[in-house]
Amino acid sequence: MVALLIAAMVIPAVTGTFLILSGRFSRAAVSDGNANTLSLVTSVVTAVCVVAVVIARPVLNQPWLTSLGVRLHFAADGISAPLLLLTAALSIAVVVQARSRPPHGASATTFYGCLQLVELGALATFLARDAIIFYVSFEIVLIPMWVLIARYGDSHDLAARADASGRFVLYTVLGSTLMLIGILALVQASGTADLDALSAAHGAGIAKSTQIIIAALLLVGMGIKVPIWPLHTWLPPAHTIAPTAGSVMLAAVLLKMGTYGIVRLAIAPLPIGFGALAPAFAVLGVMGIVWGGLACLVENDLKRLIAYSSVAHMGFVVLGLSSGTTVGLQAALFANIAHGVVSALLFFLVGGLKERWGSADLATARAALREVSPRLGIALVVGFAASLGLPGLVGFWGEFLAMYSAWNPAPDRPQGLMRFLVVVAVLGAGVAAAYSLRVLKLIWSGDRTTPAHEDAHGGEWSVLAVLVCAVLILGIAPGLVLNSTFKDVAAITMEVPR
Amino acid sequence: MSQAVVSVNVGILLPVLAPAIGAAAVLVTDVAVQHLRRAHYVIALVSLVVGVLGTLAGLGMAAGEVRRTLCLPGGGQCMYVADSVVSTLQIAALLAAGLTLLLSWPDDKKELPGNTAVIVSLVLAATAGATAVAGARDVGSWLVALELATLPTVALVALRGARSAISGAIALLTAALVSFALLAFSAALWFTATGSGFLTPAAALHGFNDPVRRPILVLAVVVAIAGIGFKLSLVPFHAWTPEAYDGAPLPMAAFLAGVSKIAALAALLVMIRAIPLGTPPLAAIAIVAAVSMTLGNIMALRQNGVVRLLAWSTVAQAGWVVLPLAAVSSAAVHASGAYLLAYVLATLLAFAVVAALVQIWGPTRARDLAEYRGLLGEHPVLASALGLALLSLAGLPPGFLGLVAKVVALRPVVTSELWLLAIVAAVNAVLGVAVYLRWLLIVVSTPDASAQAAPLAVPGVAGPVAVLAVRVHPATLVAVGLSAVALVLTSLNPQLLLGLLGR
Repeated sequence: MVALLIAAMVIPAVTGTFLILSGRFSRAAVSDGNANTLSLVTSVVTAVCVVAVVIARPVLNQPWLTSLGVRLHFAADGISAPLLLLTAALSIAVVVQARSRPPHGASATTFYGCLQLVELGALATFLARDAIIFYVSFEIVLIPMWVLIARYGDSHDLAARADASGRFVLYTVLGSTLMLIGILALVQASGTADLDALSAAHGAGIAKSTQIIIAALLLVGMGIKVPIWPLHTWLPPAHTIAPTAGSVMLAAVLLKMGTYGIVRLAIAPLPIGFGALAPAFAVLGVMGIVWGGLACLVENDLKRLIAYSSVAHMGFVVLGLSSGTTVGLQAALFANIAHGVVSALLFFLVGGLKERWGSADLATARAALREVSPRLGIALVVGFAASLGLPGLVGFWGEFLAMYSAWNPAPDRPQGLMRFLVVVAVLGAGVAAAYSLRVLKLIWSGDRTTPAHEDAHGGEWSVLAVLVCAVLILGIAPGLVLNSTFKDVAAITMEVPR
Repeated sequence: MSQAVVSVNVGILLPVLAPAIGAAAVLVTDVAVQHLRRAHYVIALVSLVVGVLGTLAGLGMAAGEVRRTLCLPGGGQCMYVADSVVSTLQIAALLAAGLTLLLSWPDDKKELPGNTAVIVSLVLAATAGATAVAGARDVGSWLVALELATLPTVALVALRGARSAISGAIALLTAALVSFALLAFSAALWFTATGSGFLTPAAALHGFNDPVRRPILVLAVVVAIAGIGFKLSLVPFHAWTPEAYDGAPLPMAAFLAGVSKIAALAALLVMIRAIPLGTPPLAAIAIVAAVSMTLGNIMALRQNGVVRLLAWSTVAQAGWVVLPLAAVSSAAVHASGAYLLAYVLATLLAFAVVAALVQIWGPTRARDLAEYRGLLGEHPVLASALGLALLSLAGLPPGFLGLVAKVVALRPVVTSELWLLAIVAAVNAVLGVAVYLRWLLIVVSTPDASAQAAPLAVPGVAGPVAVLAVRVHPATLVAVGLSAVALVLTSLNPQLLLGLLGR
């Protein structure tokens, strides 16, 4: 079974490296179509391995850098399992979608190779059980994502591409280096880099002042990745410029590495330090909800609008994390998955629309989607309905439970402030409804039928259909995720299960 | 009866003796048989390999395990002590010197400036100085060895004879003289403070415990840091670096970036390791580290020539090399050594690729950053090697070695809770990424349609690898290949490199 765990990381690593190098040394070695097929097979095989790992829970624990005491320690648990499955599933989806909407800009083999390496980095991050390995894995996604944005992004403006890809890398490196400093300090203070041991110790033996310093470093570092207002300014340009596959992986997988890291490295091992910073953290989260929502109300670039809505959704995740309760952490982890599914759906949709329209500008008059392309239309309605948090869809549970948990926070949190923040967050949710309906009014409703464009079919439609189903299924049965995370979350908050 | 003279163990001294004897052998050969060229290089490589064999026994030893020689009679102190850190720095210096020689291998097509015997013997002499300073434990040999490592490089830079080379050599010579004056001053202060000519913790402790002599000892260390700062290119002692790198022949710039830096750090480590453990953090080192990184990165961002960019990157990386030493501990010494090795390996690979491009494109084009546009399409092998080197320097995967080096360098800083320094380092990690990605972005971008480079037309040869084999000297290709393989292997398993420094 450990072999499957290794295979889940080695297969994308080998395929990704092979695809990137083969495109370099002999142009005719792998055709674009073959690259897609190879990539698809790899993603499916990897996904099978990931499913097996999630079910069987094997553990790999080998020494790596003995001089530093770093171990190759990988395993899945209830918290990482949903994220692993999401990563594996979306890695298949981006390849399937690229079948009907191939990448442009540079060689297709490098494009698929980079996607494989992004998948490798994300899987390794979610599987890592050693703090230093977590950092190393965290960095793996950077260069492939940089290449995806810089080489395959929006072809209209080369300077904007260099700017967006550069911002993405530089912001993330700043965040991850601060995170590294925090990790090193955490390892030094607690004497272990084992995430399980760190989690089990609950910060015992680390002074409160030290806990606060380390937690602050970690929160700022990973807050850039999440992103938390006001550290979010890299996200909108990166999303706007990135190719569809890049946007999907960025929003649905890479942002989750930040919140996942906060749970693993800040909340679990440093409960006192995080508790001291939680009120400020919650305020920033709610600022993000309001800021992102207001930006969406006036934003005219559809991709940028969804990027800002991501900032708002991650604000709810932050609010849930800050509450310090089992319900709050559960809500945050669920909202993580929900945002992964919904943002993937919306970016697939909008990426496709942008290619059809030639731009993503909302001010231009377009044919109404419900008239000319009903499949795209229904997916858009479901996506935005989930995004505004309509009950019965996936977006509802995370945000509702996050507000519920913040209304009844842990005893050491300032109840008055948290309740005030909930009130503001409710207003933010109202703004979300307003901007969602605005988008639907602009591009879905109406009766214009020109300029006509083709509807989704083939790979694109199957990806959209699967994601729409996921939005519905997880909306109706949120327990699928909540039950998976419950036991490990309760161990972190040390609350007696009710 | 005890020995009347110092004991000598040739086996332990081999890393120093082999290149020194090699230098002499090359000169003798040149006198005996004139107009030999390749033979000098072969002799030199053989002597370097012998030196490398001499270091092998010292690699990966446990902490506290040392090999010593040149000991005073009656079980007294030893003037030459090699532990795993020393042996690792020595093997790195010898291998870096070998790589430099491969890059400057004589070519039938064009005459190299200067006599090959002179070049080779100067390289070997400087290498012997570098390996000697690493093991030196008394102020006399320490000082002489460090100058032996420095002065030949002045001649090596000047050899090209061009105006820029002369001005670079003068900048280097001035720095070397000032540095020597400071180091001699520091040696005198050390002797005054400790009453001992040995750079050992026992001697230092003797001076440290005396309140009158303690300030003198502190001054000795600070002055030594300034003197070595010249050689390591630390701000504010860095001004010669871009001049000398840009003026020197390319292989000699690689020598300055490789062997000279190893010699300088080895000298600094001799001094640092003599300071008793438990000393409060060295503010002097923290400040020069922070300023070097910041200024080096900012200036590197503004360069349009690749050699000057690499020169300023040296300044920034020198800051990272001494960063862990702000905390006085044996972990900091290991960290500093490990970071230096990672930097030297990646930088030598970058220089090797530039040297190969000099042979294809000519020196003017290969030194111009803008000309690297589209390199990935034109020369995928060289571009991939360069990309790996740049990512290693930036500390990003797939350059795992650079990433791990960053972890290693930051650890002692965090352990000593120097938060401000750690934050400065984090900001500089970002600036560094900007520096190297700026170059990498040019390498991977598609060439402008207007300035499309003429496709390489080599009759009867197809494929990018074959083109290289025709256009580039085999010795240069070997240098690129060896350093690239070393970087790939150590990136896959950084423990290969970390393990050398000891368990």
